[in-house]
Amino acid sequence: MISANRLTRRFGSRVVVDDVSFEVERAEIVALLGPNGAGKTTTMRMLAGLIAPTSGSVAIDGVGLTRATGTLLRSRIGFLTEAPGVWDRLTVRENLQVYSGLYGLAHPNGVIDRALELFELTGQASTRTAELSKGMRQKVALARALLHEPRILLLDEPTSGLDPEITRSVRTLLDNRRAAGCSILLSTHNLDEAERLADRVAVLHGRLLALDRPAVLRQRLRTGRVMVRVAGDPASQLEVVRRFDRDASIDAETIVLRLGDAERDTPALVSALTGAGARIVEIRQEVPALEDVYLHLMGDR
Amino acid sequence: MTMTRVRALMRKEFLDLARNRTVLLPVVFITIMTLVIAFGIAIALPAMTGQPLGGDGDLLRLSTLMGGGDDLSGDGRVQLFLFHQFLLLFLVIPITGAMSLAAHAVVGEKQARTLEPLLATPITTFELLVAKVLGALIPTFAVSLIGLALYLGGIALLAAPGVAGAMVGARTAVLVLVVGPAAALVSLQAAIVISSRVNDPRTAQQFGVMIIIPLSALLVAQFMGTVWLSSSSLALIGLGLFGVWLLLTVFSVAIFERESILTRWR
Repeated sequence: MISANRLTRRFGSRVVVDDVSFEVERAEIVALLGPNGAGKTTTMRMLAGLIAPTSGSVAIDGVGLTRATGTLLRSRIGFLTEAPGVWDRLTVRENLQVYSGLYGLAHPNGVIDRALELFELTGQASTRTAELSKGMRQKVALARALLHEPRILLLDEPTSGLDPEITRSVRTLLDNRRAAGCSILLSTHNLDEAERLADRVAVLHGRLLALDRPAVLRQRLRTGRVMVRVAGDPASQLEVVRRFDRDASIDAETIVLRLGDAERDTPALVSALTGAGARIVEIRQEVPALEDVYLHLMGDR
Repeated sequence: MTMTRVRALMRKEFLDLARNRTVLLPVVFITIMTLVIAFGIAIALPAMTGQPLGGDGDLLRLSTLMGGGDDLSGDGRVQLFLFHQFLLLFLVIPITGAMSLAAHAVVGEKQARTLEPLLATPITTFELLVAKVLGALIPTFAVSLIGLALYLGGIALLAAPGVAGAMVGARTAVLVLVVGPAAALVSLQAAIVISSRVNDPRTAQQFGVMIIIPLSALLVAQFMGTVWLSSSSLALIGLGLFGVWLLLTVFSVAIFERESILTRWR
């Protein structure tokens, strides 16, 4: 488990991360969203023990991250940095061999073979990383971060530069790591990815603007708009609907109205329509996308 | 300290070097130059000019200052004196050669953006610095040992009878096995200290190579007959240099700021 407690980081007079607290539980993925310069990488670096917070603290599995515990805790963390940072003159296998030594793995060859297989890099094992595409280098970096099977994963934009096929395999892999009990914090600009993958989403812009499940965050922006599609002419039902919203209108063969509390009022609307003989084909509430929530939060700052 | 981590990073250094052998060209060049200059002056020039070294009164007088070699001919004594002087140049070889490697040790990783994932592993600063120093020293020291073998082999083949035998002794061993590595370690550690504080490897290289200044002064003083260091004084110097290296290592660990390296360098 990762715990960030009132993390603040200043560079000179500039406050990059301001009083940020959150936890990533076991078997949980939290996505860190925010624009460039929002403090995502700084937060990741503080959690990885690479830079110290100006104030606040970090705990990994209940152990406070300090200079004294840094070496021990870093062995439990898999950190994917913003840039792949692979050694260009070394082959893919050699890169992983060096890191298996740095993590003190007892049987590195088997572990490396499995990592190569998992990331479909077996064919490139003897290729120098300088000759690989950006996406392939990113895969090597991911394989490196997961090599020692860490319980804590900090991933700075893990699917950046990857093609859709590889992106999907990375997402599957992260799903599997979550199922295996890992605590995963990933930063991303990809809101769709955050929504698909994360159990909770943290929106950061220096301060933590929001932290919750994507569905709950979307709920915050509920407009109360309800769309009703009926068989036949929708205009014939407009009078019934206007009992609920005097401004109800028809847009592209769909009745559009706004309910004060859609959860509470929708059953009554359905009853009224069916009572008036309407045959309802579809009725749905307008649900904002995570992107709308994100832009709303950014606009509110 | 965990040797597994030190070995792992040293392996990376060696692999990197093996793929970028041109970095070792200065070492090879200096080794060849040292051999050419030494044999040129001690063997080829007297043969070409027809003026034997033993006929030069000044050189003969200087050669007696170092003592030993009493059973050698006049030529042999001067040759022994000269070959002992040039032996000092072999101390410089690992320093100059490894300097570019050491200067790149930290700042090079930073520039290649490979430092952050490396620092995110359990490796300690001490382990990182030890691996970087040894990774730079061992290959260049190996080249200088090959050069030294050629040097002694050449003396055995080309010098006056008995010179090679007189060369192989405690003084040579102390110079090659103690003073040489110790001076190189001091120099490399200094370069790495600088490498972890600057954002340009050239600055580290320029600072590190300053160790050559006292060595050159020693070489000149010996040539002039001002100083002749016995094997025991050389051993003391070597031990002193090892002490300086240890202090520098402790110092370099203390001033190695992972954080500012990651956040302030661009």
